[in-house]
Amino acid sequence: MDPSGVFPTSYRSDRRIVRTRWQALALVLFMGLLLAAPYLVSGRIIAILNMMMISAVIAVGLQICTGYAGQINLGQAAFMGVGAYTASILASKTGLTFLLTIPLAGLSAALFGFLFGLTAARIKGFYLALTTIAAQFLFHFAVLNLPSTWLGGSNGITVPPAELFGLRFVSESSQFYLNFAVTTIMVAGAFGIVRSRFGRAFVAVRDDDVAAGIMGINVAATKANAFLIGAFYAGVGGALWAYLIRFVGVDQFTLFHSIFFVAMIIVGGMGSIVGALIGVFIIRIIQEIIATVGPNIADSVSFLGGDIVFAGMNVVLGGVIALFMILEPKGLMHRWNILKSSYRIWPFPH
Amino acid sequence: MTTNNGHVSSPLAVRGATLKFGGVTALDDVSISVADDELLAIIGPNGAGKTSLLNVTAGFYRPQKGRVELSGQDVTGLRVDQIARRGLARTFQGTHLFAGQTVVENIMIGRHMLMKSNVIQAFFQFGPVMREETEHREAAEEIIDFLEIEAIRNRPVGTLGYGLRKRVDLGRALAQEPSILLMDEPMAGMNSEEKEDLARFILDVREARKIPVVLVEHDMGVVMDLADRIVVLDFGRVIAEGTPEEIQNDPAVIKAYLG
Repeated sequence: MDPSGVFPTSYRSDRRIVRTRWQALALVLFMGLLLAAPYLVSGRIIAILNMMMISAVIAVGLQICTGYAGQINLGQAAFMGVGAYTASILASKTGLTFLLTIPLAGLSAALFGFLFGLTAARIKGFYLALTTIAAQFLFHFAVLNLPSTWLGGSNGITVPPAELFGLRFVSESSQFYLNFAVTTIMVAGAFGIVRSRFGRAFVAVRDDDVAAGIMGINVAATKANAFLIGAFYAGVGGALWAYLIRFVGVDQFTLFHSIFFVAMIIVGGMGSIVGALIGVFIIRIIQEIIATVGPNIADSVSFLGGDIVFAGMNVVLGGVIALFMILEPKGLMHRWNILKSSYRIWPFPH
Repeated sequence: MTTNNGHVSSPLAVRGATLKFGGVTALDDVSISVADDELLAIIGPNGAGKTSLLNVTAGFYRPQKGRVELSGQDVTGLRVDQIARRGLARTFQGTHLFAGQTVVENIMIGRHMLMKSNVIQAFFQFGPVMREETEHREAAEEIIDFLEIEAIRNRPVGTLGYGLRKRVDLGRALAQEPSILLMDEPMAGMNSEEKEDLARFILDVREARKIPVVLVEHDMGVVMDLADRIVVLDFGRVIAEGTPEEIQNDPAVIKAYLG
């Protein structure tokens, strides 16, 4: 939505995402601040930012699959795991550069996601959710039960650091720049996809699949593509995760994590890329606060025992998400859009 | 148009279509054929099988017997989107618009099947995609001009009145650049002013696009004024076929409507 009095003068300018000089300035400042972050803030904050950026890639993928195409997906962490394992195995066994392992991780996750996308052609809603949960368990089962020389079994896999021209991405801040670059490309690409013919086809299938069919949109293929793209993002995020933690294990990619990704896009707002980013920010901040406050509480009320406090923290996190769903079911982006449109026509009510 | 075996083929022909739902026969050996640049109206009492016939034609239902041909090509049993890509567009009774999307976005969805860019091009948004988007946006804007809905182009369709929504529905079908247009009860639920507007647009579409239009309609006034030819269905069978004058005086039609 343009500010009052600003009108696009060409169809090309009408498609722009950054529409005014102030928006461009804000974007440049934001990106500039992020780039300078390793020199401005402590390592702890950088570690949090790293986690946020990786989550952002995965949540944006889920936003395309669930928010845009309407295909419920509770297997995003499994798709992330497939990407993480692919990158780890390629990096540790073949020594391939991260420039290749990251896209290959995306592709292998996309293939895995596509298989589950094919089922979406036949089933919807609740049943689809159950099927995508199967992706979680299939992933777990495969990793734990295949020979441990293949996927590391329950021991996991140690990952060599990403390396480019002799520069090793070991420190938090060097990894920050790797994550920053990949996240920027992936998020920009997501903006491209959702405002292309594919994004429109996704929305068409989500809103009314009967009408989408008569528009010449192959509904089944579009649903499968949504999973393919969403899983590709998860795979890329998984590869970044592998290079960040330098170790992958099966319990890093559970149903629990999948549900948090869904919570992120709900809190931020379904059907909006920026919403996914905001959701990642909010949920990660809450998780960080809980991780910081939790031990302190455990210390001060030691008679309760640490276990109860940590379990309680998860209840708090779940409660915050539930509160969001009750008070702001359409997400923070929706609230922001209402604010923007009322500011635009201020002082008139409508 | 002629096919390779020399028969004159029509833009749309249904041949001997029979459609049953359990024990109910919705269509019983129905054959219709539409001539180039013709407005064919399909009428009949409630439950006569008009909408079933449209659904068979558009590929929503597969007839147990019979064939559907588009320009002589057999399309029976193809998916809805495959039939749409062969040039058939339809509007719905009520509307099946994408309510949360704006008018422009709805019409652009109609252009989807005419656009060629792949997902990698879309990801990077370089030259060809931008050009394609602009080209198709221009085509969409032409339709918006044509239907006189410029003022509402950025409004979400869900906030529009029924008459305007019907117009957007027509625009979205036109955006597909169809070679035949099916309309399912476009006038239902409209006041006479809205009906007049839409009737004018239907005539304009025929003028501008030179495509045949198949109209399923209850409003006799509209049908008699617009149609070149009328097919009357009753209990899933064709009971009469002819010009509006012939139909008005057909004893079988009068019997079907008045009992």
